Amino acid sequence: MPKRILITGSTRGIGRATAEYLAAQGAEVILHGRNREDVEAAVARLEIAPTLVRGITADLSSRTDIARLAESAGEIDVLINCAGIYEEQAVEKLDAGSWARTMDVNLSAPWLLSRLLLDGLKRRQGLIINVASDAGFLGVAGGGTYCASKGALIGLTKALAIELAPEVRALCICPGPVATDMMAQSVAAAQDQEAAFAQWTNYAPLRRTAVPREVASLIAYAASQDAAFATGSVWLMDGGLTAGKRF
Amino acid sequence: MDWEFAGKAALITGAGRGLGLAMARALVAKGCRVALNDKSEPHLGAALAELGERAVSAAADLSSIEGPALCVDRALAGLGHLDIVINNAAINIENTIAETTDALWDLHLAINLRAPHLVVARAFPALRQSRGVVLNVASELGLHAIPNNVAYVSAKHGLVALTRALAIELAEHGIRVNALCPGTMDTELMQECAAASGSPEEYYAAFNEYHPLGRIASPEEVASFAITLVSPLTAFMTGSSIAFDGGSTAGRVWKAV
Repeated sequence: MPKRILITGSTRGIGRATAEYLAAQGAEVILHGRNREDVEAAVARLEIAPTLVRGITADLSSRTDIARLAESAGEIDVLINCAGIYEEQAVEKLDAGSWARTMDVNLSAPWLLSRLLLDGLKRRQGLIINVASDAGFLGVAGGGTYCASKGALIGLTKALAIELAPEVRALCICPGPVATDMMAQSVAAAQDQEAAFAQWTNYAPLRRTAVPREVASLIAYAASQDAAFATGSVWLMDGGLTAGKRF
Repeated sequence: MDWEFAGKAALITGAGRGLGLAMARALVAKGCRVALNDKSEPHLGAALAELGERAVSAAADLSSIEGPALCVDRALAGLGHLDIVINNAAINIENTIAETTDALWDLHLAINLRAPHLVVARAFPALRQSRGVVLNVASELGLHAIPNNVAYVSAKHGLVALTRALAIELAEHGIRVNALCPGTMDTELMQECAAASGSPEEYYAAFNEYHPLGRIASPEEVASFAITLVSPLTAFMTGSSIAFDGGSTAGRVWKAV
């Protein structure tokens, strides 16, 4: 029987690449997105038997939607919390709404989904994979809210792993700069787009951004039986970003 | 070295007792003026009475959206300026994952993570003026996990990450931000929990054994280290998260059997 895997934030970026990767391996995937058209399009473009894919639309900043998402997903083997948002927020230009949105989507949604899907995950000896970020390790000016949410997501992963072992495992994947729509939007929003693009390219010591498929392959490995002894681990794949600085 | 804090003004949250009060005492003893916040009116009142004219109230409910700003405003009204902000207030209600309700999760995030963020945001102009320093009191559980503390562990890991983000962003203004990660302390809260457990001796023994040094810390020894983190001794330190935990995050003790 194929593994049933729910991937949040899988209409774009790392989430979509992960869904494609896992579908190619024969998994049953449940896609999720905030926007119905995007979800339908993502389901349609996935080259997979129709019985092995479905999509659920939900706003992860709404707890009602999260409950509905969990109920609709049903019992699963692997929960991949990939949905995340980034909102620039300088310390002195405080926006309580931005803090709440970021915490809701990046941190509380993974927590609530883990708890709501827990019984099924226990029955299936399942796995929770949280997608955090290098920003869980490094401070980013203007990204305090995002950093706090991703650092907390790393903590959540460890707490889940320690308490739920040995039945359920939990892992955290921390990508560095990845060429996603999210990154493209940040470049588009910059005054000097060429400079913004160069900044991303040169951010990590490997001097390039990752493509989503590279991160997807690590997530797929994490979800495979080969990684069955890993729990509570935080796996960076960041082009050397958090290892140090070039001087 | 009384010169270190003479003329300085500090805000300390969760200062009614425990580590917060110990830090307030240590700072006041070195010439600092302090604004104290605590959710318990009796504890706050007693602390203010003990510390006398060098202490003012910064009472506010840190679990609310508006409370942290009110806390800072009261501190500034009482002290006139701010050189030091210590985010110490926290809650820790143990619960299994299954029993951690939405409300409990939100409360931990509000007090242990959002409040420090909102306090610093409100204090920013004053800290920029004084080229001040922030200390976030996290926990060893900001660095690793134990069971039945999912909301606390998540919030404290977030606080460690927030510390780095604030340090990076505020460095250009000369504001330092660090986090202290203490192990278990012998506070009044600890004594109450021990009493409530039914067998205080076993309760203490478990915590003593948990720390490789074989004991828990006194609030005073943690406080004396904490105030070095807001003193000129650590003027080059920012964005750091320092374990002060009897070795509990360093590794495991493997007992011969």
